[in-house]
Amino acid sequence: MEKSLPGNARRVLIASANPLYGKGLEKLLSQQAGGQPIEIRLASTMSATLEALEQWNPTLVIVDYDDHTIDRAQFLNQFITGEGPMQVMLVSLKASGAAVVYDRRTLSSDQTQDWLHIPTSTQPPQVSDVPRRSESMKHFAIVAVLVAISTVLVDYLLRTIGLLPIEASTQATIIDRLFNTHFMVISFLFSLIVVFLVYSLIVFRRRGKETTEGQFFKSSTRLEVLWTIFPLAAVIYFSYLGSLSLAETRKVDPQALEVKVIGRQWSWTFEYPDFGITSDTLQLPVNRQVLLKMTSQDVIHSFWVPEFRVKQDLLPGENLVKELRITPTIIGSYKVRCAELCGKLHAYMESPVVVVSDADFQTWVDDQVKLLNADPATRGELAARQNGCFACHSIDGSKLVGPSWKSLFGSERKFTDGTSMVADEVYLKNSIIKPAAEVVAGFPAGVMPQTYADSLTDVKIADIIAFIKTLK
Amino acid sequence: MRKLFSIGLVRGILGQIVGTALGIGLLTGIRAAMGLGWKAEPAAVLGAFFGVFGFLIAVGAVSDWWKWAKGEDTLEAEEFKDPPGMGRYFGVSLDHKVIGIQYGITSLILLAFGGSFALIFRTELAASGMQFLTFDLFNSLVGMHGMVLIISILLGIAGMANYLVPLLIGAKDMAFPRLNAFGFWIAVPASLVLLSAILVGGFDTGWTAYPPLSLRAPLGMQMFFVGVFFNGWSSILGALNLIATIIRMRAKGMNMFRMPIFAWSVLATSLIALTATQLIGLSFQLVMFERLFGMPFFDATKGGNPILFQHLFWFYSHPAVYVFILPGLGIISELLPVFVRKPLFGYKWVAMSSMGIALTGFLVWGHHMFTAGIEDYLRVPFMYSTLLVAVPTGVKFFSWVATLWQGRIRFPVPMLFVLGGIVVFLLGGLTGPPSGTVSTDLHLHDTYFIVGHFHDTMFGGYIFPLFAAIYYWYPKITGRKLNETLGKLHFYLMTPAFLVMTLGQMRVGMLGMRRRIADYDPAQGFDTTQLIITIAGFLIALSVLFLFINLIRSAKHGEVAEGNIWESRSPEWAMLPSPAPMHNYDQDFQVVGDPYDYGLAGSRYTELVTQPVGDD
Repeated sequence: MEKSLPGNARRVLIASANPLYGKGLEKLLSQQAGGQPIEIRLASTMSATLEALEQWNPTLVIVDYDDHTIDRAQFLNQFITGEGPMQVMLVSLKASGAAVVYDRRTLSSDQTQDWLHIPTSTQPPQVSDVPRRSESMKHFAIVAVLVAISTVLVDYLLRTIGLLPIEASTQATIIDRLFNTHFMVISFLFSLIVVFLVYSLIVFRRRGKETTEGQFFKSSTRLEVLWTIFPLAAVIYFSYLGSLSLAETRKVDPQALEVKVIGRQWSWTFEYPDFGITSDTLQLPVNRQVLLKMTSQDVIHSFWVPEFRVKQDLLPGENLVKELRITPTIIGSYKVRCAELCGKLHAYMESPVVVVSDADFQTWVDDQVKLLNADPATRGELAARQNGCFACHSIDGSKLVGPSWKSLFGSERKFTDGTSMVADEVYLKNSIIKPAAEVVAGFPAGVMPQTYADSLTDVKIADIIAFIKTLK
Repeated sequence: MRKLFSIGLVRGILGQIVGTALGIGLLTGIRAAMGLGWKAEPAAVLGAFFGVFGFLIAVGAVSDWWKWAKGEDTLEAEEFKDPPGMGRYFGVSLDHKVIGIQYGITSLILLAFGGSFALIFRTELAASGMQFLTFDLFNSLVGMHGMVLIISILLGIAGMANYLVPLLIGAKDMAFPRLNAFGFWIAVPASLVLLSAILVGGFDTGWTAYPPLSLRAPLGMQMFFVGVFFNGWSSILGALNLIATIIRMRAKGMNMFRMPIFAWSVLATSLIALTATQLIGLSFQLVMFERLFGMPFFDATKGGNPILFQHLFWFYSHPAVYVFILPGLGIISELLPVFVRKPLFGYKWVAMSSMGIALTGFLVWGHHMFTAGIEDYLRVPFMYSTLLVAVPTGVKFFSWVATLWQGRIRFPVPMLFVLGGIVVFLLGGLTGPPSGTVSTDLHLHDTYFIVGHFHDTMFGGYIFPLFAAIYYWYPKITGRKLNETLGKLHFYLMTPAFLVMTLGQMRVGMLGMRRRIADYDPAQGFDTTQLIITIAGFLIALSVLFLFINLIRSAKHGEVAEGNIWESRSPEWAMLPSPAPMHNYDQDFQVVGDPYDYGLAGSRYTELVTQPVGDD
């Protein structure tokens, strides 16, 4: 069986009672001819077909396989008795444009049988991609594959690129699960639209000086209803998922630790009513729900620790106390940052959030409670311990990385640059907040962190100095 | 001197200065009579009000109405003579095309202002630490960037709608030409007042102006309120006029479903603007009164509630984003068939989806307040309604894709911007649902993710379509085409830069970068991304500069546009020469087919009415 059609002047006869069938094929053929001479005739009845077959002697006859008004036996009869070279192509639109070609000279008896009886399940042996619908199916198939590939890739990208901070709370885990569902839907819809769009731009572009118009189709109610109903169902389902997720993040633990959060331009204070503690750091035990009761003293602020995900505004007004529940799950240091524009220093409205083990939390609470009633020196000792001072500074006179604090106050200090000074309160404060300014002879420079000016309050520094003074 | 004085704009600005001085003087006089000393804020507010009125009187936007009030006759709108040449653009004109261009140019000037504000604070954000801005100036610039661009968008939409709607529907002019002129001219002094905010202390609240912060902000806050308040008038009056025009003045045979699709989107947008704008005016007015007269609407210690403001504010400001994007989406739907050579798929569904978005847009404002402290259960219905917006929006996307399918697509500059708009708006749309479901929004709220999402919707829904419209209709306005090479340079520079910018913003936002911060913690590791975002921002500005150069250069030197250069079926291309003549169609046409039947041989959209139409 030959695929190419013989002869230069092709004469094609299209036999079908369906005018759309004929017109569609005619258009397609004339486009495919690419400048070669071609004549096309349409025959819509059996008699017109036979007549054309007889008199016009076409090189190719295309028969609508689904059209039962064409009497195949009669047609076959006429076909095999003729002299000149002729091919017939049977095209079935019902079978997605499957086509089979027979040549007059090489017709076998099997083929005659095939021809006369519409095959029930077997596909015609040779499939060409001539007709429009199969072309269309081909486009859809390619796009579908590309959409699937793209969906998987985009989804993979979104999940692995590291879009979210670590999940440091139970709420974060719940929320991230919803994020992942979102990523999946986003990947699919993004791929769906973009692949269709880009594919159209490439395949359906006008080439060169071509001036043909696009395929004329205006609307399809079925499609429109489909792409209204499905998204509708999807968004309702998504809202439902969102509601569940919201409810889950707000699940109440009656054992929750209560902390009162007070925001003001531009700082935070945390009160622990159970212990009577007030702190500028939010200290939390791990794996225990904390109930934050939040209020503002001036304008609107917003409590947000990105690693915990959840966020809540703080409103001024005693009747507008807002609640937020968080269950930290990872021990570590975080920062609460104000997320609602609150004026000049909004960017700097942040405080440390420290998640510690139960035991450490209890120690912290005990220390804080002790502190409440303690004298400055005792508070200073605690602050020094909490801030890790004793790792480098001994209190018994032994030499560690840094100078010992024993008998420090009032002593003469010699510095690496040769100068010296008596260690008074001003000197001690400067040494804490600007440790690199004057380095004591015999000790390496640049070892002590230079961050204590930020992390220690003036009161704490004064307490530490008071403690140092006691170390005679 | 007299010649200078004959220019309406000059008279108007003088009038505004005189009015402002009068207002300040009057209030100070009254206070002096009551034995009170000088106080800047009430004087400035009254001055700003009087200044706006002074401008309107001096420019001549109310002269005819004043004559009517006195019982005098005025010229019919069609007999109204504009000054010849460029002069007509600087004074009151009743021609919808002139007003459309006036709106458009004002909008582009504000676009340049708003964009420049962003460039300034973007430079500050290029690295952590404070480089050259003060905190106050940074905050003022952020707020001004937002509001100036919102006004720019509103005026830009008014410009497109004014110029195009009568042409598209075959009307000679808008329904109420004087109201139309008034609507434009009130926006000029209002925008001047708004811009003056930065000169009188600025404001540190962002464009949302939440009390109690806005109660404590400097004087610039009040200028911001007054400026927005009067721009709101412009918006409401313009919307009213457009609705009346679209409903009543269509050509013979043009039933609603044969209107060009852009007219549908303008109708939807105008319905929102007409009914919602009052709420932002009201909410700002209440803060204004609280500041001036001590009425504690939003002070919780005196029986007020700061959340109330947010409800009022977002009841406008959420639908407002649909005001901004619907005309842009209309432009996409309008231009796509021309360049695809195929009918707009599902015309009726696309038209109805605009109305659907307008309707659902009114039900979703609460999603701006998911973390604000509204009643917990209230967040759930707002989540449902918010996600519902995805349905009509989806219809638009699917219809656009189906329009592209099996078309014969060509890619002149307007089409490039249409396609860019679709992709960018898609990103904006897809980043909506994570912000719309409450629990994920608890993380995303008030972060740079929202900044990125919002810029995607604004660029995809307004800026890209606006640029498409400019490249497409500029020849109709001037008779000359814009330079194609510069246009392509504009597109291919802006699009990737913009994508880098917003994707970067969304990424740092998810990782923990808050909105509206002047400085960020280097420990969070945002420095590199921020630098890239800043560079991308500057590239966008550069590309828009190409457009501005193109607009000015091509007016004189552009290639002459003869005939139906885009092979459009739309009447303004098919039936009018370029530039479009005064009073549009000298012969009425009637509609005999569907607007977008590209590819249907022998079909026509419009034809001339052969018999002269009698007076009816």
